[in-house]
Amino acid sequence: MNPTASMTLLQISVMAILQTIAVLIFIFIVVPLTTFAERKVLGYVQDRLGSVRLAGHLVGFTGWMNRVMWGMGRLPFVSILRGLPQFIGDIVKLFVKEDIVPEKSDHFIFRIAPAISMIASVAVFAGISFYPGALFTFPKAVPIVGGLPFTGFISNMNIGLLFILGVSSVGVYGIVLGGWASNSRFPLLGGLRSAAQIVSYEVPLTLSLMAPVILTGTLNFNDMTRKLSTEMPLVATPLLFVGFFIYLTCGFAETNRLPFDMPEAENELVAGFHTEYAGMRFGFFYLAEYINMIVVSALASSFFLGGPFLLPFGLHRFILHVPVIGPPSAIWFVAKILFLLFVYIWVRGTIPRYRYDQVMAIAWKYLIPFTLVLLMLAAIIRYAA
Amino acid sequence: MNKFLKTLIPIDIYKGLKVTGTHFMKVFCTANRRKVPLHRVQEYPEVKAKVAPRYRGRLTMLKDEQGEIKCVCCLACEKICPTQVITIESGKKEGRKTKIPVRYDFEMERCIFCEFCVESCGFDSIILNHQFELAAYNREDFSIGLLGQSQNMFQLTPVGRFSYSDSDKD
Repeated sequence: MNPTASMTLLQISVMAILQTIAVLIFIFIVVPLTTFAERKVLGYVQDRLGSVRLAGHLVGFTGWMNRVMWGMGRLPFVSILRGLPQFIGDIVKLFVKEDIVPEKSDHFIFRIAPAISMIASVAVFAGISFYPGALFTFPKAVPIVGGLPFTGFISNMNIGLLFILGVSSVGVYGIVLGGWASNSRFPLLGGLRSAAQIVSYEVPLTLSLMAPVILTGTLNFNDMTRKLSTEMPLVATPLLFVGFFIYLTCGFAETNRLPFDMPEAENELVAGFHTEYAGMRFGFFYLAEYINMIVVSALASSFFLGGPFLLPFGLHRFILHVPVIGPPSAIWFVAKILFLLFVYIWVRGTIPRYRYDQVMAIAWKYLIPFTLVLLMLAAIIRYAA
Repeated sequence: MNKFLKTLIPIDIYKGLKVTGTHFMKVFCTANRRKVPLHRVQEYPEVKAKVAPRYRGRLTMLKDEQGEIKCVCCLACEKICPTQVITIESGKKEGRKTKIPVRYDFEMERCIFCEFCVESCGFDSIILNHQFELAAYNREDFSIGLLGQSQNMFQLTPVGRFSYSDSDKD
């Protein structure tokens, strides 16, 4: 099914722009909420309250907001939402702050590095499918795209997974170049560590995604999601189950999150590769990290947790014809992404950091042999079925 | 072999996640509305902060049941004070056998809150109270005496509106 076949070039481009805007809106709703949730969840896990006030102000607008938030704490459910205005303050602060470029840095590369990180993480969404079909159809009255379906994916590439893996690994250039161009020791060390770590974890990450590719025999995102949830033999379920955890571990390392936050080790290197960055350039790195988290969650949820189909690990074919929960829905997909984002924060609040050599040992000594075994099992299942 | 299996199946990570996850769900579902809150932090400006029972706050003079000053001007506190912030001037009063302080000046600016004065007092006539919001805008506000205008040795130091809990009481 290729909806672009009967469309003119103008229609295709307008539709692509509309879908891109929709994806960007999704990103810029989810990312600030994730930062808020990170504060709250970490606070609750560590016997704190998380963010509850804007600043220590008593007077003026922020003082009024603080009093309102304190009042919210006495209401039954709403007290969880205390401190929600904090993320607006975050964004305003990032935009308003002075943009400092160190004099002895490599100015061009210093300026372009956050953009590389950001673009690489956003461009991945071109290959991700939220829903394998039309979300809704535009009414005939709409000027250019009237009567055309608004699909849940931007492009239905035959090499979707390859595109995603290729583009997302460009993001490490931003980190390495940013660390190098800062002309400072801490960013340089952070960048080098990041290069080593991300290149190491790229291997088991890709290998763990190869098992679904072998099982389905395609690289098309929609086909892979559909076949993995509805056409898998029952033997493949434990394999997908194990593969999910391996993929998630590698994803944690890829996005530089705790417990694998070697590049921005806050207790050894000041802030890692973004020590010299301030203002919105730092904000781009920050955004790129969170968008990468969304990407990793999206891939994990579509290839291992069933994506828009409800049940994970290829179990969905048993309830495929049940009325409400049977058909695919974008809601399940987004819910799985949000749950995996919660898991990110949950793990951050639980597991302490690994040493650098331990991080490398996990990748080369355990994960890569393990994924190779998985790959062989997947090939056997594919051959037998 | 056992160690290899332990590495392969991360059961300890599962245990840790279980502990933090159940704790999070407990806090999340009750939304901090418990009688005994699960969080260990104080919401200080909004809620009056709790201090330890032996907290050493500002020096305060006590009166007995008849409203008489308990102090007998033995000058023990003045002598033991390491920073010499206490100045006592004794006097007489009709119908009272012991001496009574006419002046009892306390310079809080230099006080180090060591509680030696309270320990040395043989008549339990002074204590350190639990007040800790002692900031003031003027240097003169730190000189506390028996007959100060706004501040004296018997009452709490009047504080500016530092916290919401103060505004609730008014």
